[in-house]
Order: sequence, then structure tokens, then C-alpha cells
Amino acid sequence: MSKKNPVRTFFASVKLAIVLLVLISMASILGTLIPQQEAAGPFINRLSPSVADILRGLQLFNIFHSPWFIILLALLALNLVVCSLNRVPLAWTRFRQKSEPDRDDLFETIPPDQVVVKETSLSEETDRLEKLLGKKDRVGRKDMDDRSYLYVEKGAYSYFGVYCVHLSILVMMAGVIIGSFLGFEGYMDITEGESSAVVALQGGRGAKNLDFAIRCDRFFIDFYENGAPKTYRSDLTFLKAGSTVQSSSVLVNHPASFAGMRFYQASYGMIPTGDPVMTVALDDKKIKDVQVAVGMEFEIPEKKAKVEMTRVEENLMGMGPAVKLSIQSPAGHIQFWVFQAIEQIMQANPGILEQVTLFNPGLFEPYVFSLGQAGSRYYTGLQVTRDPGVPVVAAGAALMMIGLMIVFFCSHRQIWIRLDTRGEKTRISITGKSNRDAVGLNREIRKLLDAVILNRESAT
Amino acid sequence: MINTVILSWTTFIYFAAFAFYLVRMVSVRERWGRLGAATARIGLFAHTAALILRWVASYQMGMGHAPLSNLYESLIFFAWSIMALYLIVEWRTKSRSLGTFVVPVAFLCMAFASLSPNISSRIQPLIPALQSNWLTSHVITCFMGYAAFTVAFATGLMALLKGMERRARTGDGSAIYGKNANPSPMNFIRLIPAPGILDELIYQSTVLGFVFLTIGIMTGSIWAHYAWGAYWSWDPKETWSLITWLVYAVMLHARHVRGWRGQRMAVMAIIGFICVLITYLGVNYLPGLHSYQ
Repeated sequence: MSKKNPVRTFFASVKLAIVLLVLISMASILGTLIPQQEAAGPFINRLSPSVADILRGLQLFNIFHSPWFIILLALLALNLVVCSLNRVPLAWTRFRQKSEPDRDDLFETIPPDQVVVKETSLSEETDRLEKLLGKKDRVGRKDMDDRSYLYVEKGAYSYFGVYCVHLSILVMMAGVIIGSFLGFEGYMDITEGESSAVVALQGGRGAKNLDFAIRCDRFFIDFYENGAPKTYRSDLTFLKAGSTVQSSSVLVNHPASFAGMRFYQASYGMIPTGDPVMTVALDDKKIKDVQVAVGMEFEIPEKKAKVEMTRVEENLMGMGPAVKLSIQSPAGHIQFWVFQAIEQIMQANPGILEQVTLFNPGLFEPYVFSLGQAGSRYYTGLQVTRDPGVPVVAAGAALMMIGLMIVFFCSHRQIWIRLDTRGEKTRISITGKSNRDAVGLNREIRKLLDAVILNRESAT
Repeated sequence: MINTVILSWTTFIYFAAFAFYLVRMVSVRERWGRLGAATARIGLFAHTAALILRWVASYQMGMGHAPLSNLYESLIFFAWSIMALYLIVEWRTKSRSLGTFVVPVAFLCMAFASLSPNISSRIQPLIPALQSNWLTSHVITCFMGYAAFTVAFATGLMALLKGMERRARTGDGSAIYGKNANPSPMNFIRLIPAPGILDELIYQSTVLGFVFLTIGIMTGSIWAHYAWGAYWSWDPKETWSLITWLVYAVMLHARHVRGWRGQRMAVMAIIGFICVLITYLGVNYLPGLHSYQ
């Protein structure tokens, strides 16, 4: 063999693998103890700035995406590759190596209970046993004058099981890399009845314009009797150039797919919508809604009052939308402003209604005027993802399961049988070898012995 | 409800089974072992019946879901998995010594579920995130894995105790054996199977647990792919399940490649089980998507 490359030896060692696995585990533990990413904010505020800077420098608030964590994973991948490449040739040799049927050395030390003497002839017994061992082309046979040998093996592929698992980890890593480069994750909020074609990318990485639009036809919540949420559902329509291409309902656990992306029900909320509306209330009860416009007039018959909107301002004195009312009634003429954000204005300026009666929306007693919007509508919060790495990761997972099954539940078993004539009788000796499962091999030899003794046609 | 009443009784039945197994170890009389085994079987039967009744009750209440949806139900199912697996191992190995070490874990789970004031035993409707067919397969595979790791852990404890015997024997020898030996702690240890058998049991249950944990993580990933839009999000529970998986992977490599056996494997089985407990219960104290309600 050629001289070993020390770098290669280093990367092939199981010691390195164990050290890396321990380091990755410890980093992961840190990642569960220290709040990560968005969750780190309140935690950082409680730390002194210098400590926070050090931790941030070490990327401890985003461990799982930090370069040093990714380097650890890359080293593990390299370790897996080199270690497997170093050992696969040996597995291949073992896999290819076909044993000769006549291995007399193996029979020198077999226990006496693995030997049976029978009255039948050598050839008859050999033929029967050969059939018993399995299909003809899989059984090795060698006949000599006074003795015959049979050999059968199964599960030689089991030497590759562990490399199958190693490969599966690399395949999954490849899937993750594909996903991180070619995929994206983002969010879109769509109000009921409206459509959107813009996805806000995660982590404030800008926006992505879609070449189709999504309309939220309806958002729907249902509750259990105890008040716990039962269903969140968005009825979506996917539109291309204005025409409907697909209609889907999206529920939690039931995303919709369109154009290689998946749309998940992630959140919801209410937003006020519609045209501004002037509401007239008496004793906290709404008695009238009036559309807002300059010159709009309406009456309050109970007081024989005529109300006119004389001014409509988008933002009066930095305090938001406001409407100026002029009211003519038998009691006289008054004017005052109605602010939409009157609650906040009162909170920020206590006593303002007494000081500036012009701002008091209840000046025309006992009526109270307020400015609002026609209604509120639900919006649905959709998570949008595209991850072309998913099929690759899934393939890796399937490969891993196959590998684990081979590693843990399959073994290479070889069985040798020697038959030799003892006068009129035939002596049959059975022995075997297994790379992992001595108990299973022993059971199989016992079954064969039983079948030999009882002249059974099959070993099971 | 009738199922919670049966489950409270099951808790006491398991405690009785544990007590009988323990008396067997101390008194070296196999009839206590038979009593313990019979009690454990009765307990498992009642436990199974209660799970079925609870499942039926959830349909009668118009919710209709497997009893695997909150911390109470998961603890109950964990205990059930432990007892079912233990009784299979007892039947296969024809040894009742393991009962003294495994049954108390099942008992503690049941007692924790029944007695902790923060754990509600009511049948609750499924919130939208849990309304998935993957819930059942994910939870069952994970707890099968946890149960196997529990058996490995208990066997690990036995192996460490057995190791004390060997050390004691080198000091002061022959009195431990022989028919006239008095009941003593050494009798207790003597009834523990030979180290080779323990080692094999640790290995086999770890393998079983490892395969189930792998399937559990995979079914969880598939579920997360449909529910959260990402098959892996480094949520604390996901991360700890990975750490647990890595610890057992190290343990299996140490055995296959470096030939670790006996006491070292026992220690690894105990470390692994600590990780299982953190994955299962510890992460509820960390922020994340996965916590029980």
C-alpha cells in the first residue's frame, strides 16, 4: 500500500467525526439556550452593551446560520466523504470475495452438534441439501470422490449499509444547500376582496414581484365552544393577466401550491377599510352614518337641526383627518371640528376639550359625532415559500432509512456444508460465518440441521 | 371521566408491580417476580382499555382525535409504550430483573400526569396546527423511540450496578454466592443478568430507539413542511431531537468502530436518556413552536 497522506488520515478518522459531532451538539445546545434571531431582541436589551457586542461578534444570536456553524457542518461532510472513500474499497472487496465451497479449515473446530450422520447416499443427500439451500445458481457446489461441499451466502450487500447512511446525510446537506440558494421564504398580507403580487422576503431582504396575482376572496375563522380556534381558512384565487387560473382554500396544515411555490396560512388580522364616514351617536348608540364630503348636508329631525360639513381635512394641524361641522338649529348656530383620532388626541392633551371647545365632538348636546371608516375587513397573512431542495432532502431521508435497515437488520451470512461418506453412511457437517449477527446465523444453522435430520424439503 | 379514573388506578397498579419486582430482587424469590409480571400485565391491560375509552370519548364529544394531543396524553402514552416494550423484552429474555428499573419510570410518568396541578387531564379539541394526519404517526414513532431509550437507560443502570459486584468480588469474594447467602444488597446485584446480556440488551434497545427516533424526526419534518412551511426551523425541540440523535449516533459508532462495550455503553445510554428527557420535557421551558399546552 502507498504511504498514507497525513491530511487524508486526519479527515478519515472516526475520532474527528466524534469531536465534530460533540462540537455541533454543544453549539446546538447554545442555540437553544440563547434566544435566536428575532427572539434575541429583548434578551439583548437586558445585557450590558459590551457583553452583547461580544456575543453578537461570535454570532451567538444566529448560531445556526453563522459561518462557524456552517464550517463545522462542512467539516463533518468532508469527514464523511473521506472516511467513507477510505473504507468503501474494503467493503467492495468483501462484497466481491466469493468463498470456495471446500474450506476444510472451517470444519476443524466445529461443535459436535453441528454434525449429523445419515443412512442415505452421498449424492442423494447433496442434491437434497443443495435444493434446500436455495436457487441453484446461488449455491456453490464442489463434488469429489468421497465428499461434496456446498456453500451459500446472503446479505453481502450489508457491508455498504453504513456508507448508504453517510451518503444520505450528504444528499440531505445538498438539498439544504439547493434550498438556500434557489429557494426563498416570504410573507404577504392580502385583504379580503383584494389581490397582491408582492412578497415581502424574510429578514427584511426586500420584496419579490410575482408574475401572477393572488386574490383573497374570503378569510374565515371558526371557534370551538370553549373559545379555542378551530379553523383558519383563506379562499384564494390565483390570477394571471387578470384571469383566474386556480382557486384554492388554504388552511393550517393544508397549504396551496402554485407555480412551484407553496402558500401557507400563517396569520390574520383586521384592518379598517372603506370611505370615511361621519357617525352620529346618542347615548353611545349609533343613530346615523353619513358619507364624508365637503358641502354634505343632513338633518337631525329631533332637534330640527341642519348639519353641514364645511371643511374636510386629510391632516389638520398634524392631528390626522378632521371634518368641520356647521349646525343650524332653533338653539342657534355652532361650529366645531370632529377628529378621527380624538381618543389619542385626548390622551396626549388632557383637558383639551374644555380648553378648545372647537375640538369637542359632543358640543351639540346630547349628540356625539365621530369620524371613522365604513368598516373593517379581515386580511390573511400568507407565508410563501419555494424550496427546490425538498425532493432532494426527501430522497436523502429515504436513503437514510434504507441504510439504517441494512446496517441494523441485515447481515452477511455464509454457510458451508461438508458431506463425506462414512462407509454406507453420509456424514453432514454444517458451519457458518456472519459479520454481525452470530445469533441469527446460529438459528439458521439449527434450522438446517433440523431439516436434515427430519428430511424436510424446506428449512423453515 | 371513566378513562382518567382507570388511568389513576393504573398508576397504583404500576407502583404495585414495581414493588413486587423489587421484593423479588431483595428476597430472591421468583414468586414475587411472577406476581410483579402478572400485576404489570393487568396494569397494561387497564391502561390500553383506558386509552381506547378516551379515544372513543373524544369522538362522543365531537372532537374525534387520538389521545396524543397534549402533555397529559403524551405522558400517558409514553408510560404505555414503556410498559408494552418492557413486557415484550421480559417475554423475549425470560428475565424479570429489568422490571425493577423500567416499571418505576412508567409509574413516574403516570404519577406526574395525574398529580401535577399544571397538567390538565381534560380532552381538549385540536387547535388548527395539530389537525394533521401526521400528528399520530409522529407522536407514536417518537414515543416508541423514547420507550426503547428508556429500556436502554434502565439496562445501563443495571450494568453499572453489576459493575459494582465485580469490583466487590475482587475485594471480598465467595460469600456472595451459595445457597446460604443472607438477603443483602449483593443478592440484589446477583440477580441482575450477566454483563454480556446487559450489553446486548442496551445495544438492541438503542438500535430500536435510534431507528424510531429517526422515523420520528422524519415524520415531524414532513408535518412541519405542511404546517409551518419549512421542514426544519431549528426550533428548540427540533434541535434537541437532533442533539439526542447525534449522541446515540456517537454511541453506536463508538461500539461498531472503536469496540466500546459494557460500562461505557451503559454511561452513554444514561447520557442519551438525559437528552431524551430534555427533548421531551426540558424544551417546554424554552421558547419555541413546539411546546405543549
